[in-house]
This record gives sequence, structure tokens and C-alpha cells, in this order.
Amino acid sequence: MGKRTVALLAVCFVSIMAGCSPGSAGKTYKIATDAAYAPMEYMDKDKITGFDIDFLEAVMKEADLTYKVEHIGWDPMLTEVQSGDNFAAGISSISITDERKQSYDYSIPYFESTNMIMVKEDSPVQGAVDLKDKKVAVQSSTTAETLMVGIMGGDNPDLKRFDSNAVALLELDTGGVDAVVADIAIVREYLKNNPDKKFKGILDPEQFAPEFYGILLPKGSELKAKLDPAIKAILENGTYTEIYQKWFGEEPNIENVLNAK
Amino acid sequence: MDFRFDIIIDYLPLLLKGALLTIGISILSILFGSILGLAVVLGKMSTSWYLSWPMSGYIHFFRGTPLYVQILMVHFGLVPLLIGQTNSIVAAVAALALNSAAYTAEIYRAGIQSVDKGQTEAAYSLGMTKRQTMRFVILPQAIKRTIPAFGNEFIMLVKDSSLVALIAAPEIMYWSNAMRGQYIRVWEPYLSAAVIYLILTYSLSKLLASIERRLEG
Repeated sequence: MGKRTVALLAVCFVSIMAGCSPGSAGKTYKIATDAAYAPMEYMDKDKITGFDIDFLEAVMKEADLTYKVEHIGWDPMLTEVQSGDNFAAGISSISITDERKQSYDYSIPYFESTNMIMVKEDSPVQGAVDLKDKKVAVQSSTTAETLMVGIMGGDNPDLKRFDSNAVALLELDTGGVDAVVADIAIVREYLKNNPDKKFKGILDPEQFAPEFYGILLPKGSELKAKLDPAIKAILENGTYTEIYQKWFGEEPNIENVLNAK
Repeated sequence: MDFRFDIIIDYLPLLLKGALLTIGISILSILFGSILGLAVVLGKMSTSWYLSWPMSGYIHFFRGTPLYVQILMVHFGLVPLLIGQTNSIVAAVAALALNSAAYTAEIYRAGIQSVDKGQTEAAYSLGMTKRQTMRFVILPQAIKRTIPAFGNEFIMLVKDSSLVALIAAPEIMYWSNAMRGQYIRVWEPYLSAAVIYLILTYSLSKLLASIERRLEG
């Protein structure tokens, strides 16, 4: 490879990095999502719906901002929010972690979640530590993956990272793995929809600490100052509880969300 | 925009381990795919309909449906049927080999049909059987002519193998997805993967060029 080829490649990369044209967001804030995570955000035919979408509507109404949600997929959402040129924020059940904070800002936490283990009903597994020498499937790019890396080791071949929870759950169903670890909402939804499959969900609060979702923002976003008070307001005035009950049929623990760091 | 080389360095050992698996999966799939492809094309070009029809159907199916879906079908259907449980690496090799066979079959056919009819007639007039003619006269010339097309197919296969991350076969794309998940950043994982694939395919095309030269000379 000559010097010229290298230079050409460098030019290619730089133009990719530079991304799209600047152009400010104007009056309508564009919010990105990856609507493939029922019941949090998903496509109902050609309409984006889910808990996050209803929650966002309430927040934007409270903050008196006009906005538009677009389903653009996970990776495009990340690049768009990181640059902040076209999209002002992303909402997609994104857990707040320190590693991710290196590249993004987050709104205050708005949702408490935890990971849940799903196994066959007759499985001897009782908690996360029992999974250490079992075969476990997770969706890559999730906190379930991060947690299981912590327990099983990053290059453990028995930890299988799948492209989506749907494929991971199918792997459990086919007997390729002993357990799936995923967000509690996902596991509950699956158990609810497949009562004949003889699976059960296991919570392990000691190993799987509660985690909190936040709205993903570009570093130094001015939107944070507008979103945070609005989120706090709807958490406190009962709007949030209403939306939560609509989607999950139970009371949220507002205190936990408000007190989360 | 910032570019985090530190997280690439962190994941480099795993990416290289993934590259080894990509190489292994690719070599085995190419090998099985080429052998199977030859069987498929001989069946397809056969004068007996009970051989040519199923083989035509095979080519139509594997060229005409998404590899993505074929990988899922092999992983959750074919492999558990054969070995009683899912195995992502076996499924990866099987799916890629089955898919590649459909394409290599057509490459073989192009090569076989490019050999002048006069050669077949000459072989027959020397008293060779149909089988001997194919084995000793047609195929040696046909295969030599198909090497550039095979090169193309092999390079496609190496890149197509990135799709098996779907069923959690721990190759290059799998580890790049893991990196993406930890930091939810896009360019570091994908560009590192692209560079590794580029090195693999570049070496492969150099290797094929030297094989071609040797056959010429």
C-alpha cells in the first residue's frame, strides 16, 4: 500500500467522522429512538409507541417544547446524538452508566429497571452466581451483557451475546443455553405472552443492582436544563404514575427514581 | 469529533481472537462450499430430471433468500436436527457453505460451458466416456478459468461471515458489537472491524493472484 492509498483512506475516514451538515435544530426538537424493544418503545404497524414514547410526550408537554420522534435504529441514534447536529436527544431505554457518560450527557433518571434471569421452570438456578458455569444468552449492547461479563468473564465462550433479545430467547427455547438475562420488562413481557413455555423469571437484587434509564443527550446539551425540571415535575404530579400504570399495570416506585443519583 | 483509540486497544486481543475464528469459519466454508458446489452443478447439468430439478431448486433457494434468514434456519433448524443441540460455529460454517455452494455451482457452470464443444467431441472420438471427458478434459480447464470468479466469491464470503454474529458466533463482528455495547459508541467498533476485514480480504486477494500466476506459468 503506497502513501497515496493511506492518504485516501484517511480522507475517507475524516469525511465519515465529520458527519452531516451543521444546521441548528430550530424550534422542533428531533428525538431519535430505536423502536425495537417492546413494551418500552416499538413499532405498532407504522406508528412508534411504548412507555418511553408516552413518557416523552408528557415531558415535552410539561417543558412546553415541540418535538418529533423518529425511529432511526440503534447505531444511527448513537452517532446522531453524539454529534447533536440533527437530533437533540435519544430515548430508547438507555441505562445510565459511567462508561457511557464519558461520551454523552444524560437527563436525570426517569425509569427504574433491573435485569432478570429467565430459566426453565425446573432449573436449579436461584441467582446470578449460579449462572457462572452455565450457558447464558444476552443481547449485546445491553447492561445484561455488562453484568454477565462481570460474573462470567468477558471472553467466556459460554456467555453468548445475541443481536436481539428475540434471538437470545429463541436460543433458550431451543436448549442452546440454560438462561437468558435481560431487562425485567422484556422478560415479563415474554413470560406473559408465552405462559405455555414453562419458563420462570428470577430476580437477584444483590447481584443485579437497580439501574436507571435516562434520556441520551450530546455532551454539553442545553436541553438538559429544560428536560430535567419537566421530568421531575411529571414524576411528582402523578402524570408519570398514570403512564406507568397504563403500560405495566402496577405502581411505580417514584421515590427510587427521584432519589437515584 | 473525538476518536477513542484506548477502547480499541482494550478490545484488540478479543478482536484478533475473533479474526482467527473468522479465518477458520471462512476457510472451512469455502472448502465445503466448493466441494458441494461442484456436486450441485454436476447434478444441475445432468440429463436426468430427478438430479437437475432438485439442484436447480437448491440454487434458486440459496441465491434467492437472505443469508440472514438462512443462518437462523440452519442454527435453529438444521443443526439441532443433526447434532441434537445448537452450536453457533457449526451453524456458521454450515450456513455459509450451503449458501456459497449455490454461487460456486454457477461459477463452475460458467467455466464448464466456456470450454469449447470441439473438445468434448474430440474426447468422445478418442473413445472416452462422458464421465472421463468431464473428469480429465473439461473440469481441469474449467476450474482454471474460474479462479478470478472464485476469488470474488471467497472475498464475499469472508465479509458475509460477519452476519453470523447474529447467532453469537464469537468472530470479529461479535466482539465489535461487544465493544459497541459497553461504550455505546459506533465508529470505534465498526471501523476497527472494517480494518481487520480489509487486511484479511487484501491478503486473500494477493494469495489468489499468486495462485493464478502459478497456474498460468
